[in-house]
Amino acid sequence: MSVSVLLVEDDEVIRKSVAMALERYGYHVAVAGDGLTGLELFRERRHDLLLLDVMLPGLDGIGLCRRIRESSTDPILMMSARGDALDVVSGLEAGADDYVVKPVDISVLVARMRSLLRRATFAPGPAGGEAPPSEPDGPAADGHRLLVFGDLSIDTGGLEVFRAGEPVALAPTELRLLLEFAAHPGIVLERQTLLRNVWDYGWDGDSRVVDLCVQRLRRKIGTERIETVRGFGYKLRR
Amino acid sequence: MGSWRSLRWKIALLVAVACCSIAFTVGVLVHGSTYDRSMNDGAAKAYTALDGALATERGSADGADGVDVAHVVYNPEEMPAELVRKAREDGQADLYDESRRYSPRMWAAQRLDDGALAAVSLDMTPDQLSRRALDRNMWKYSLATLAVIVPLSAVAAELPNRRLRRVARTARRIASGDLAARTGAGRRTGDEITEISASVDTMADSLQDRLLNEQRFTADVAHELRTPLMGLVTSAGLLPEGEATELVRDRVRVLRTLVEDLLEISRLDADAEQADIRPVPLGEVVAESVARTGLVARVTVAGKPVAATDPRRLDRIVANLMTNAHRHGVEQGHGHERATVEVTVGDGVVVVRDHGPGFPESLLADGPRRFRTGAAERGRGHGLGLTIALGQAQVIGATLTFANAADDGGAVATLRLPG
Repeated sequence: MSVSVLLVEDDEVIRKSVAMALERYGYHVAVAGDGLTGLELFRERRHDLLLLDVMLPGLDGIGLCRRIRESSTDPILMMSARGDALDVVSGLEAGADDYVVKPVDISVLVARMRSLLRRATFAPGPAGGEAPPSEPDGPAADGHRLLVFGDLSIDTGGLEVFRAGEPVALAPTELRLLLEFAAHPGIVLERQTLLRNVWDYGWDGDSRVVDLCVQRLRRKIGTERIETVRGFGYKLRR
Repeated sequence: MGSWRSLRWKIALLVAVACCSIAFTVGVLVHGSTYDRSMNDGAAKAYTALDGALATERGSADGADGVDVAHVVYNPEEMPAELVRKAREDGQADLYDESRRYSPRMWAAQRLDDGALAAVSLDMTPDQLSRRALDRNMWKYSLATLAVIVPLSAVAAELPNRRLRRVARTARRIASGDLAARTGAGRRTGDEITEISASVDTMADSLQDRLLNEQRFTADVAHELRTPLMGLVTSAGLLPEGEATELVRDRVRVLRTLVEDLLEISRLDADAEQADIRPVPLGEVVAESVARTGLVARVTVAGKPVAATDPRRLDRIVANLMTNAHRHGVEQGHGHERATVEVTVGDGVVVVRDHGPGFPESLLADGPRRFRTGAAERGRGHGLGLTIALGQAQVIGATLTFANAADDGGAVATLRLPG
């Protein structure tokens, strides 16, 4: 089954040409011309990836992203026509996993989408069918490795995260980031390393993407769990 | 302080000149009127003495009561010639005789009824001494007053000087690009210095407004171009392959680079850029940048240099230097064997060198200017690339220098990272 993408973009030419180009790459594309239509389409059926323009009539891309994040952890890629701090930072704060700046080559866009989808499919979601362990602090069961850091427990097999026994809903990038930290507990990870390992960026990655994703992750798993090492990066507290 | 041409010394000099001329005028007037008065007094005394002496001689015994009687001279030979002449003409005359160095004398002469002359002279030495003392005192006190007033006025001139210097400093800061600099003179009414300060502020305001408007315009134009450009880029990607398609795509690429460069310049102009400094392996980053440009270059890395810098901005600098070197050094180079771009990476230094005709004189002298590619042989290019490279270098605190090689005149761009 082909991957379905919801594209919300107000400029007709971009909407049509990006949709056509993505269809050539084998994606199934649903399109919306404004934020509210986009929100309706999002609610009607599930999409594997959301591609949102920042400037939209009615509900803008930032607001739309925030509304989607209220109920979903679907991967979101923002398209900004400005690329300045305000657009990028507010998009990432609203919960976007990554951003591209217009005009973007379709090949670059597809590369970003693939990287994002890899993170998303990495988490099998409910298909795994494994029940969450009743005792987060208990021993790993059924071959699943359970990593425990204070009140936080990560089921690396079922890819589920619990905080004080309560399941935590993480967006795919947040989950990948947490797993990256969990694989190296207590070790400082540079932003550059994280950009490469989680986002598949080379040296051209924007470290604000890491900073804002870490901020979102902290809000969900507890601020003190990830420590900032000024000038170097971040580390997960054991 | 500083130069002797400073306003403070000019004011002090002016004050000194003013004080001196007042002291001189008053001194001359006082000297003159004192002299006149003492002449009048002396002459009156001399006449009285002459009258007294003649009366005594006539009365023979009258005045012999011990009073000091002046000695009357009858022989004109003993009188000053001037006195004799005046007395013969007018019947009586007085004369102040300073012909001897000491003890000046006041003469009074009268023509007697028989036509002979009688004269007396009084010693004026005490009078002369007291006038000299007065002159000395006037000199002394004038100089003492000057000694106090001139330094005082120099100190007092320091205050307006300081305000003027602040205006000058502010103007210099504005000239060097700090458009937010203001003298802070405020709106209160005041002297001319306040006025010039306020004028400088107003000028800076309007300059800043105009520059900001211009920057905003460039940024807005570039932003507005982005959306249609994105449509164009993706649509061009959808066209069926062919020669015509390649032409369209090539132009779209050029247009896109131009818009991106304009946006980048407007961001650099707006000082909105912040470097994201982190330790990076310099050799790898530069090699990756060079590879991404898709242009051929020989990259040499000495050792394993690590630099604290912003790799994305470094990439922009290297890419722009590469593009420039390729455009001017390789495409315009003399022959195939020399047509290579060499990129040398050392400890905190990146050198991009080509073997073309080198940078034009105007660029070496004034640095790169947007939309100015210099001489025709510099070929195509809109001249934004080097401006961007320079701007990005400033953002990461690096210095970027342009020179021509001594041996073959090829262009050499040297980027020195800080630290």
